[in-house]
Amino acid sequence: MANLAQEITSYLSTKSLSPTPAWLSTFLPTIRTNTPLPALQKTALFRLLATDITQSLTRPPASCFPTTIHDATIRERKLPGPLAVQVLDVEDIGRSCWSQVEAIEAAERGETTKGREIIRSVPSEQEAAEGVQTAGAGPHKLLLQDAQGVCVYGFETHAIEGVGMAMSIGSKLVLRDVVVARGVLLLNPGCVTVLGGKIEGVHKAWKEGLKERLIAKAGMGEG
Amino acid sequence: MGKILCVAEKPSIAKAVANHLARAQARNVNGVTYVKNYVFDYNFTRWGASNVVFTSVLGHIKQHEFGPRYTSWNSCDPSELFDAPIVNSVVDDKKAIARNIEEQARGAQALFIWTDCDREGEHIGTEIRDIALRVNPRLDVKRARFSNIERAHVINAATNPVSLDEKQANAVAARIELDLRLGAAFTRLQTLALQSMISQEHKIISYGSCQFPTLGFVVDRYFRVKNFVPETFWLLKLMHEKNNIKVNFNWKRGHLFDRMAVTIIFERCLEAKMARVTSMQKKPTSKWKPLPLTTVELQKMGSRFLRMDSQRVMKVAEDLYTKGWISYPRTETDQFDKGMDLRSLVEKQQQDASWGAFAQNLMNGQFRQPRSGRHNDQAHPPIHPVNFVVRAQLQNDEERRVYEFVVRRFLACCSEDALGESTNIEVEYGGEIFRARGLIVIQRNYLDVYPYDKWDSSQQLPRFDVGEAFAPKEVQMTDGNTTAPGYLTEPELISLMDVNGIGTDATMAEHIAKIKEREYVMTRPKGGGRAGDDGGVRSTTGSRGGRGGTGRGRGGAGSGNAAPAAGNSGIQEFIPTTLGVALIEGYDNVGLDTSLSKPFLRKEMELQMRAICAGTATRSDVVHQNLELYRAVFMRTAQQMNVLKTAIRKYIPQANG
Repeated sequence: MANLAQEITSYLSTKSLSPTPAWLSTFLPTIRTNTPLPALQKTALFRLLATDITQSLTRPPASCFPTTIHDATIRERKLPGPLAVQVLDVEDIGRSCWSQVEAIEAAERGETTKGREIIRSVPSEQEAAEGVQTAGAGPHKLLLQDAQGVCVYGFETHAIEGVGMAMSIGSKLVLRDVVVARGVLLLNPGCVTVLGGKIEGVHKAWKEGLKERLIAKAGMGEG
Repeated sequence: MGKILCVAEKPSIAKAVANHLARAQARNVNGVTYVKNYVFDYNFTRWGASNVVFTSVLGHIKQHEFGPRYTSWNSCDPSELFDAPIVNSVVDDKKAIARNIEEQARGAQALFIWTDCDREGEHIGTEIRDIALRVNPRLDVKRARFSNIERAHVINAATNPVSLDEKQANAVAARIELDLRLGAAFTRLQTLALQSMISQEHKIISYGSCQFPTLGFVVDRYFRVKNFVPETFWLLKLMHEKNNIKVNFNWKRGHLFDRMAVTIIFERCLEAKMARVTSMQKKPTSKWKPLPLTTVELQKMGSRFLRMDSQRVMKVAEDLYTKGWISYPRTETDQFDKGMDLRSLVEKQQQDASWGAFAQNLMNGQFRQPRSGRHNDQAHPPIHPVNFVVRAQLQNDEERRVYEFVVRRFLACCSEDALGESTNIEVEYGGEIFRARGLIVIQRNYLDVYPYDKWDSSQQLPRFDVGEAFAPKEVQMTDGNTTAPGYLTEPELISLMDVNGIGTDATMAEHIAKIKEREYVMTRPKGGGRAGDDGGVRSTTGSRGGRGGTGRGRGGAGSGNAAPAAGNSGIQEFIPTTLGVALIEGYDNVGLDTSLSKPFLRKEMELQMRAICAGTATRSDVVHQNLELYRAVFMRTAQQMNVLKTAIRKYIPQANG
């Protein structure tokens, strides 16, 4: 059994995840030892990705945000990592809140179901030919939390696959050699690995409250 | 010699065609002032030498109503109208016309139908046929296929008769039945329930299955504008001066809605100090000449450039067609048949004082085959000029404007695309990309005859080499605000109806006219009291394109950038009345899924009409299916009348009850 724990731990560390002994001890009893090892490793990863890392991961300093991370007087620094974080919030900063609310309301009205689509704006012929960018591809700003519970903002300087408004809250990312400018992480595919995962309850609440938050942010609630 | 009876849809067509075929003599018709019988001899290929009587009707002769038991509003529950029997009869003031047909049909060898070649025309053709066959069952019934009233074309049509298309007539019959049942049932239901709440005592609150979705678009846009809140965005601007030329570079990201992010990026750019040219491309570019003209396009352009609303444009276009100046103006086809002789049409325009020189140029070797769009209704070609007329000879200014537009569009179609050279420079600065674009228009080509498109050279850009580095003269971080879309203009509304599949080219203008007539919407000149009446909407520069909600939905002014349309004159915008809003919201609250204000019910119906024409659906199936769909909505509405009443009370404060 100890050997198994070791195999699993070393597998998880290849993903830059370092589970606490406490988590391991809740995980190990749930598996059947005669399952082949690769399957067990995958299961461990899957379960770990569904947890809250402030509870389930260890906190060695090299894998966490330094204490001065929020210091905005530091123009630039680099974090070698690898540093596992979970996503607590995602925003599309390339689109206005109002247009995002409109899109949500259109979906609520069933206008995104096939056969029920309502087209509300018609691009001119040449605009369509030139492939004028439609909204939705804007860079995203993330609120990332490390195993200590420290939260830091970051935004995409280049689009990262898997990052977007469809991503799950509680999704895990690993940061390596990431540049921090004035306390904000500059994210790009070179320094970010998206592991995935989700924290179910938190994600659900986030999704349900999204429209309201956007409305509040745009100031639409007033008048 | 046998006798042939020819019947057109309108007196003017009868007169024009008859006179193209021969020297026709006009005879009066008993009891009808406008309709004449034109009498002459003609040798038809199919029937040989014949005595011809060429007459006309005045549109639909028959009317469809519910039987006497159901005519009074209080006589039955509106729901019974879904199944109540329908009675056809000849409209009172068309009885004399019907009699004329009966009289002339007796003793005739054949009936040759010359109604307009569209669905409605086909249906009217069957009405005429039914009247004639009743008195003379042995008539050989044929139909002329024509798209304009030009002599050679008409003679060709006379030489090649075809059969009436029952399928199209059936599609219209299905539409008539559905419009009657649904219109009456819902109109009675909502009027009886809501009438007392509205101040105008006996006002009928009418319903039409196409008008409601049209109204729905207007209300929807109204609320989008009302609910709009401007949001601030931030962007970076780069300017450099080289060879005494100032070059403005646009940020590839356009603008972002997060100040912190932009500030950080800005700082990093400044730190980088030098910008580097990553690409410099000169390449040929073109602005495409327009597609051949369809009804929808004509209506949109009419609103934008000709200062006429869609109904007016269609009326004028029809007059021009009847007089033989342009082809049939109700068409969805945006491609010219390869075999059609377009050059001879261009040749006819050489005499004109304004565009004659351009036409001559085309004849001298500059002629090009028009582009082909993707639509072909198989019935009529795109709208084009059929004959030349000196504009001063046309009846009024509106005819002159429409004729001019049709000609210019046609000549533009037969020209070359405008050609230019674009220079695109891309520069990397602080990890961000900035772009500058220059355009030199080298050959205006079609633009010279088509002033409705704009394409202008920008300033000349200085030369940059790839890899060249420079310290930008000016880097700025500025902000702007998103601006609200405008209320719907007529061209936009037509586009929306077209793209969402409601209304056909023939009916769109009518539906728009209806919602105005019924006071569900009103119009006012665009630019008067826009969303800016909530104060302080500062429209600024900012990105091109639609990111961040910078009002892509605004029609009119072409490239969708900040300032209100310069061409304010004549462009009307639609505002729903309180009654219009109340009805739409009421029905949406009854059941969003199948709300009458949404286009898909009507769109389905239109698709099924096409299926009847194509032969893939039968009239009775289509009628039955749609009745069932709408019956469900009807029942639900009847049960939830309170919901409608609540909406009325909300928007019409003086409402009683």
